[in-house]
Amino acid sequence: MPERLSFYVKRESILHRLNPLSKLSIVFAFIFLSFLSPFRWLAPALAIPVITLSFVGNVQRQFLNIALKLILPAVLFMFVMQSIFLPGGETVLFAIWIFDVTLETVEKAFITVSRIFVMISAFAILLLTTHPSELMSDLTRRGLPGQFAYVIISTLQIIPQMQAKAQTIIAAQRSRGLDTESSFKKRVGALVPLVGPLVFGSLVEVEERAIAIEARGFTSTRTKTSLYEIPDTIFDKTLRWSLVLLVIIAIVSRIWLS
Amino acid sequence: MAIVNLQNVSYKYPLTETPVLENINLQIEEGEFVAVVGPNGAGKSTLCYMLAGFVPHFYKGELTGRVEVAGVETQDSTLNEWVLNVGLAFQNPFNQISGAKYTVFEEIAFGLENIGVPRSEMKERVERALEMTGIGDLGNRSPYSLSGGQQQRVALTSILVMEPKVLVLDEPTSQMDPIGTREVFGVIRTMAERGMTVVLAEHKMEWIAQFADRVIALHEGKVLLEGKPGEVLTSDLLDGKGFGISRYTSTAREAQKQGLWQKDTELPVTLDQAVEGFSK
Repeated sequence: MPERLSFYVKRESILHRLNPLSKLSIVFAFIFLSFLSPFRWLAPALAIPVITLSFVGNVQRQFLNIALKLILPAVLFMFVMQSIFLPGGETVLFAIWIFDVTLETVEKAFITVSRIFVMISAFAILLLTTHPSELMSDLTRRGLPGQFAYVIISTLQIIPQMQAKAQTIIAAQRSRGLDTESSFKKRVGALVPLVGPLVFGSLVEVEERAIAIEARGFTSTRTKTSLYEIPDTIFDKTLRWSLVLLVIIAIVSRIWLS
Repeated sequence: MAIVNLQNVSYKYPLTETPVLENINLQIEEGEFVAVVGPNGAGKSTLCYMLAGFVPHFYKGELTGRVEVAGVETQDSTLNEWVLNVGLAFQNPFNQISGAKYTVFEEIAFGLENIGVPRSEMKERVERALEMTGIGDLGNRSPYSLSGGQQQRVALTSILVMEPKVLVLDEPTSQMDPIGTREVFGVIRTMAERGMTVVLAEHKMEWIAQFADRVIALHEGKVLLEGKPGEVLTSDLLDGKGFGISRYTSTAREAQKQGLWQKDTELPVTLDQAVEGFSK
């Protein structure tokens, strides 16, 4: 049985105890500050507090794992591409074929990828320290449509189930002699008898699942309640308003200074 | 007054010409356990969906006649309100898991959250339901890590926790192994003993004979026979129509031809009845 699709790590920490909306606010504050701040070097500098956050949440090892395997490779690739292909700049460092790599493009690329690094890392820490259903039920309580929350949460759970089903279909088709291991062309051809049953089977399932959740009052017009109480302290509220203020200052100062 | 009342009901799915159900008349009293038998395509599932409100609210199509549960007519109601009175569980346990919850306890609370039950009452009701269906020890497990029989019991509990007036079960054991079947029927037995109004569509005659107060045999969308399980399930009117007669019934019938079965004894459906009949 494949693992469910969730980064959540159960720990005791201030970050875990924080209200999900507060954590989401932190993420967006990081994004706004790194993209909108008038000081371009703020974006790379923000990497330090983001990494510190992973220690606060006691998820530094899991974060390092995600950073090394997912974020850094993508970001490095972008850095190289942007350094080479961004036009402009005067201080030529070196040339590759017809492309000049200049100090200015390298700098620009570095700031862009720092922003992306900060954005993805902040999201990763949110996901590492927040149970998905807690996040969604808190947002639903605050007015996010229940259908939207359901789509997000059920996708997280159903994708691993579909992977398992795909494995079953592959095994079944291979036992009937379907070639999934030789030349590229044959493998592409083999996709049809694999994808067909998976897609059509899933469509039938959608109907049954719709009936099942409908039978449990999913579209009821009454106000929904939640099994768990999600704490929302004064500290949470103060934190959120301070973050909003910080972002406003960043935006205003940017307009001011430009 | 009957809690379920169907009068001259016919139904066609959208874009089809022939009716799936034709001229159905059915009254079910409160606390009655009614089993519906019939070959594939006889309209069992459609009847279940109709009682649960999904016909016509979900499937649309053309419904004529009156469908009434607890004094309300289906056409005058909405699906949201209807599901509070009638609970539905069906074949595939996997597709009945909402997918929105990470533990069995949360899964069972899902319906109560949707209809806005306050938190303290919700916990109480979930605990009571878990205990009633005997799956209290699964509360903290992920619904996806369970066996088919366990999943189906979770699905049943998720419906029972909403305290419907009528419970409709559409072949709840058709995808179960013998162990899963026994587990699920264990829950159904508890429901029957508690006096719940149950409508069960099912193929397994031996199990039906143990619970049902009344059996309705559907064939090609019409009621072929209706009556006590001992009479309906052993009737030769079911022959050759794909009903799947119990092996104990067919054995006793053979014995009857040979003069080995007492003339005045009712034909058996279950093993116990067969043993009793043959030892006379």
